[in-house]
Amino acid sequence: MNFNALIAVFLIGTITSCSVELPEDVALEYDKLPQELDFNVHVKPILSDKCFLCHGPDKAKQQAELRLDLAESAYSELINSPGKKAVVPGKLAKSEMFHRIISHDPEVLMPTPKSNLTLSAHEKAVLIKWIEDGAEYKPHWAFIKPEKRDVPAVSNADWIKNPIDNFIIKRLEQENLQPSSQAEKELLLRRVTFDLTGLPPTVENIKEFLNDESDNAYEKQVDKLLKSPQYGEKMAMDWMDLSRFADTHGYTVDRYRDMSPWRDWVIKAFNENMPYDKFIEWQLAGDLLPNPSKEQILATAFNRIHPQNMEGGIVPEEFRVEYVLDRVNTAGQAFMALTVACAKCHDHKYDPISQKNYYEMSAFFNNVEESGQISWDNAMPVPTMLYTTEEQDEVLEFLKSTAQTKADKLVSIRVSEKENFQDWISNEKYKESVKSKYPKGLIAHFDFENSQLKDRLNPSQKGGMKRVGSSSENPEFGVGKTGQGLLLDGDAWFDSHGVGAFRKSESFSVGLNVKIPENLENGVIFHKSEGAALYCFRGFHLALENNKLQVLMAHTAPGNAIIEYTKQDIPRDQWINLMLTYNGSSKASGLKVYLNGVELETDVKNDNLYKDIHFGRKDEPGIQIGARMRGKGIGGATVDDLMVFDQELTPLEIIQVVDYEKFRDIMSKRHSELAEVESAMLESYFLLNHSKVYKKYLDELEIARMTFSDSVESIQEVMVMEEMPERRKTYLLERGLYDAHGEEVLPNTPESVFQMPEDLPRNRLGFAKWLVHPDHPLTARVTVNRYWQNYFGRGIVRTTEDFGNQGELPTHPELLDWLAVDFMDSGWDVKALQKLIVMSATYRQSSKTSNELRELDGENILLARGPAVRLTAEMIRDNALMTSGLLNTKIGGESVKPYQPTGLWKVNGYNYDQDTGDKLYRRSMYTIWKRSVPHPTLATFDAPGRSECTVRRQKTNTPLQALVLLNDPTYVEASKVMGEKIAKFDSIQEGITETFMKLTGRKPSDKELKILLELQEKQYAEFKHHKGKATGWLTSGEYEPDGKLDADLIAANAVVASAIMNSDATITKR
Amino acid sequence: MCHHHDILRSNSKDLQKIEKQIDRREFLTKTSLGLGAMALGSLLGTEKLFASSGNPVSGMNGIPGLPHFAQRAKRIVYLFQSGGPSQLETFDYKPKLYDLHGQDLPASVRQGQRLTGMSADQTAFPMTSSIYKFRQYGESRAWVSELMPHTAEIVDDLCFIKSMHTEQINHDPAITFFQTGHQLPGRPSIGSWLSYGLGSDNQNLPSFIVLVSKNAGGQPLYSRLWGNGFLPTEHQGVQFRSGKDPVLYLNNPENYEGADRRQMLDYLKKLNEAQFDSYGDPEINARIAQYEMAYRMQTSVPEATDMSDEPDYVYDMYGEDSRDPGTYAANCLLARKLLEKDVKFVQLYHQGWDQHGSLPSGIKSQCNKTDRASAALVKDLKQRGLLEDTLVIWGGEFGRTVYSQGKLTADNYGRDHHPRCFTMWMAGAGVKPGFTYGETDDFSYNIVKDPVHVHDFHATLLHLTGVDHEKLIFKHQGRRYRLTDVHGHVVKDILA
Repeated sequence: MNFNALIAVFLIGTITSCSVELPEDVALEYDKLPQELDFNVHVKPILSDKCFLCHGPDKAKQQAELRLDLAESAYSELINSPGKKAVVPGKLAKSEMFHRIISHDPEVLMPTPKSNLTLSAHEKAVLIKWIEDGAEYKPHWAFIKPEKRDVPAVSNADWIKNPIDNFIIKRLEQENLQPSSQAEKELLLRRVTFDLTGLPPTVENIKEFLNDESDNAYEKQVDKLLKSPQYGEKMAMDWMDLSRFADTHGYTVDRYRDMSPWRDWVIKAFNENMPYDKFIEWQLAGDLLPNPSKEQILATAFNRIHPQNMEGGIVPEEFRVEYVLDRVNTAGQAFMALTVACAKCHDHKYDPISQKNYYEMSAFFNNVEESGQISWDNAMPVPTMLYTTEEQDEVLEFLKSTAQTKADKLVSIRVSEKENFQDWISNEKYKESVKSKYPKGLIAHFDFENSQLKDRLNPSQKGGMKRVGSSSENPEFGVGKTGQGLLLDGDAWFDSHGVGAFRKSESFSVGLNVKIPENLENGVIFHKSEGAALYCFRGFHLALENNKLQVLMAHTAPGNAIIEYTKQDIPRDQWINLMLTYNGSSKASGLKVYLNGVELETDVKNDNLYKDIHFGRKDEPGIQIGARMRGKGIGGATVDDLMVFDQELTPLEIIQVVDYEKFRDIMSKRHSELAEVESAMLESYFLLNHSKVYKKYLDELEIARMTFSDSVESIQEVMVMEEMPERRKTYLLERGLYDAHGEEVLPNTPESVFQMPEDLPRNRLGFAKWLVHPDHPLTARVTVNRYWQNYFGRGIVRTTEDFGNQGELPTHPELLDWLAVDFMDSGWDVKALQKLIVMSATYRQSSKTSNELRELDGENILLARGPAVRLTAEMIRDNALMTSGLLNTKIGGESVKPYQPTGLWKVNGYNYDQDTGDKLYRRSMYTIWKRSVPHPTLATFDAPGRSECTVRRQKTNTPLQALVLLNDPTYVEASKVMGEKIAKFDSIQEGITETFMKLTGRKPSDKELKILLELQEKQYAEFKHHKGKATGWLTSGEYEPDGKLDADLIAANAVVASAIMNSDATITKR
Repeated sequence: MCHHHDILRSNSKDLQKIEKQIDRREFLTKTSLGLGAMALGSLLGTEKLFASSGNPVSGMNGIPGLPHFAQRAKRIVYLFQSGGPSQLETFDYKPKLYDLHGQDLPASVRQGQRLTGMSADQTAFPMTSSIYKFRQYGESRAWVSELMPHTAEIVDDLCFIKSMHTEQINHDPAITFFQTGHQLPGRPSIGSWLSYGLGSDNQNLPSFIVLVSKNAGGQPLYSRLWGNGFLPTEHQGVQFRSGKDPVLYLNNPENYEGADRRQMLDYLKKLNEAQFDSYGDPEINARIAQYEMAYRMQTSVPEATDMSDEPDYVYDMYGEDSRDPGTYAANCLLARKLLEKDVKFVQLYHQGWDQHGSLPSGIKSQCNKTDRASAALVKDLKQRGLLEDTLVIWGGEFGRTVYSQGKLTADNYGRDHHPRCFTMWMAGAGVKPGFTYGETDDFSYNIVKDPVHVHDFHATLLHLTGVDHEKLIFKHQGRRYRLTDVHGHVVKDILA
């Protein structure tokens, strides 16, 4: 419909369907609109971008209860304007939307002036025509399952190499454009070699390819590249951005921790061409697979390598929640290209992801026994797996079975000693022990008599009182259980100065008398630790928690710890005796607590202690009473008689400590008078105190346990996922605040994307399986699009990270769907997908183009030419290293510290200890990635900070990049090495030609060669005439050039190499 | 390409001399197209350069339509006092605390809000008055403690905000919040927003420069604080470091001189031009332009950071430390030089204000290191006529608690983080001099009048640079982002 004509008709008085006049600018735009509008292509982007903020999916922000993302709402009567509707299909004048968008009245105009959003004349015209045409709604393209599209028939069939080309050329034909011819062979090889391995081709490769005139010469090269181990490295590099992999924890403290085993696994998985669905499943939920292998568990580190906070004094829950949400955000972004994070504080403004959906997804990732505050002592944040070699596994297995043998032996000795025990009983030998006031094994006794903090047994062992900000507090004494006791104010603690620094393989007992005030519900009674959450509670403690006792023994709480709670409340305002006993087994069953000599029943919350409970320091903290740094104490309590034993006391011995009268009564009985329970207690007592053989094996068991424990201590830990036995409750968090619990939610996926099939488990594994379900509309599309971007510099959907309403539309939707379905049909074959893309004629095109085509399609959306993309940060450096011959091709392992200007880490409080030797020349993907201070050589070329998932890097062009390439020792050194090589050629011309070929993949043109020769000549003359001028070129970096060669010549050649290295021909992949 | 405030510097020594002889700023405003640009144009053929799509030196000119209204502040220097300086020992005078000293903080004051994990579990929360004395100064009769004698001298130029508050209680989220408007990593910093929105007034220097005091110790910093977030990389802050390589990789290989580099770059340019002839890709020309900019920076940066021509009385004003490059005082002086060259945003960081324990000695030493130079910067800008359109900001990420963290003794105590109120000051362009805004209760615990949130601070800062904080927007991942997110009100009452 021609709108001008229509207006003319209207003006002469004929009644038409449209009885309204359009503003001139809108009318002009209206004329330019295509015949048919597509809702998804033309209309929804406008509605989404300009209207959804107030009339979209966010229920809390919906104005006038109007939703323009839903047809039924748009067509309904407006709540504030009875009789009116926002949109009446086909009836412009009756549609309130029309009147609102063209109004000049700020009170009426939509979007409101306050929103700072305005509709352009074109956008108004689109909405107007859409209403006129019937205001049709369609579902969002990305949420419709992709169907395998027919490969379009095209006229230029000769050009076609595979189906990709049909889709591309069909579009070109629509635009009356021709594809470009194939790129020059050298450049094509360079392009594909970088794209598949991240490295340049060698001169030999180039020559081989140039000389190979067979039909499948290119394919042979592609196959070779796909098989090379560097392929896995290249693929892993992108995955590191996506998975936000770094070598440090991030946040302010940002210390190093080694998670490279996971990176090694990613490289391996790509090289072995692991199917992508498995690849995702393992990473999201490998631990939940049946009998998971070590690798399957290792893979789940994907969910743990997010930034973690070590800053002392944070509220741990705040950051624990942050980590959970990071996993959701990353999964949403990485696999579905959905900005789900927008639904953290409110319903998503643009996409049908409600806040509830968001927290339902978070429930999948919330069942991890982790700590928001990670330990200050650099312990790997829990949960972790011991990342053992096979050899270590064998050793550990042996040591474990040795310990088990000793434990079994003790059980059998208990039986074989039965007879001796009976003799001992019947001879009433036990009566001999009646006079001993204390059990054996007492190693310290602080009785606080005479207003002293000394150990009664060893008076030179002096305790002290401390508190935050003071290491010599004056103790206050009051009435104790017997004599004097120590008064506690809740902030100052008694420090035994090193007593009781036990290890997890040692048995011990610690007890005291304490009177706790009635109103106190929480507070630490005694502990052996340093701070509280700051060190993730390493050590052990007995604490009052919600009136019950918490018994804890930890390497790194809560994941690597034993945590128990007594079932009963603890009496207050009276003297009680509390005794903790432990048998060195590292098991909850071996850790007991007694109240007044009676063992308390406990609920075991965690029973997973697998590394030691001490710090291994010279000034190892010992037992402390009553308070702790950064933890709650027991203000108002009085304590007395701290006793420490170096063995696990038996029940009878505990009675001996707690209630000597009772002990004396038992020990004085005739053996016939002994109750059954008393005999049982006596048996344990006998074995521990009177059976030499039992004691011998007990000691042996302890040694075996210690050997095992020591062997575990040095084993590398990696962070992995481990499901808590009992699901943690998950809540919707109001306004996204960690402590503002809304309704409880259960694990679920957003129904608008794709309803989770009933048969999938409601856990991470189910979530992973949902992602790779053949009916999932997003995962395959998002994946092929991301890979497409790697080759063409731009995705089929440009917004690789956003397939939602605010994302861009696919430029070739049929191709995207075809690739997605083909990818799934292939069994998610990643290598096959890469091969398909690089084998296409589309990819192989020359990137040279005419000015006309450049004018027409500056961004190369239509792909009538090949891609031209600046090398990534890693490629730029790796290219310099490889072409100079410096590159160390070792794959995997810990990250390294290549050249970096001194002092950069100072701002973060650390020193950068630069590596030497061949570690300086590892591929850039192994350069240490410190989140708070990125390596400048890489960061300057747009390598991301990796604090969050990144699927599309920026591509900038800045003066700082020029400075890096000109002056960074990495590049100056590489130039020097190349300069030396040139000097060894018979002719400089040959040397320069070879260098140019290595760096750029092609021969220099005559013109280029002339330029470079001239430069060489001038610089050489300059260096010759001004001694010392070449110094910098010869001394940058560790490499020492051959002293027999003319140093000035090397330097002049180095300048030439540097010029090539800085040129577009090197920096850009064309 | 139109440079309103083009102050491109000449590479020629003679011209530099002339520039120095006449009033530099006048000279620069009068040359509508700077010499550097002329040089660049002649190198490339201006037509060729300007015909390429987009701006060859992208991001230099800001976005169209900005500023939204008249700029009061053409430049900003932000003296960030990292760690959270105590308001109680500096500017927020609380005489009633002398009587309450040692008593437990009443629950009615604390109102149950969260504390950090460092002191939340304390049993006692003894209120602690300042060990340092306060006096009133100037015509404005502003209270300043004895720790800040130099700042005390300039109170009539300062606009104090006593009622700052934030939600963040720990360093990382609080600093990140102050610098980027959001507590989690990933958003652009203030300087990046300004560079993106307003571009640069000096094509030879970055528009956003960062200076960090050397060896200050204290809580760590991290470069994402001056990161560009999702804005294009060229808007990230460029750290100028003390020492011979003020910008990373600025120096040529040893002994390789400017003229040598020039020669090499001329040939490099020829190589790139040959490539351009084959491919016609405008990115190639853009890269040539970046190399020229890099080359200019090799001259302009050492010149900008060269302190050798500063007279003794200037060093005396900033204090002896200012002769030692990299100190806070030297950085303040350097900041003045950069501002003179119309660098839009100079961000200083000085760490070490995190006095959980031994606050009296800790804060004294911090004040000794910073007070004189902060005040000198304001004075110096004023005497050069720059204070009119330069905004100076002083402040940290939060304040400190009225109660002592750890032991309170006669001469020692500590204070924990306190986000509910703290003091900042601003001076210069567009803010009321000799003015105090906002009020806290007798405990400096809660705000009783005119609260100013971090978002409000950002809104006001942008307003002073002529930017409507609701209109400086960047679309990223489908969402429109602002420095102030969806919050913030301009604090109109402090505007002159």
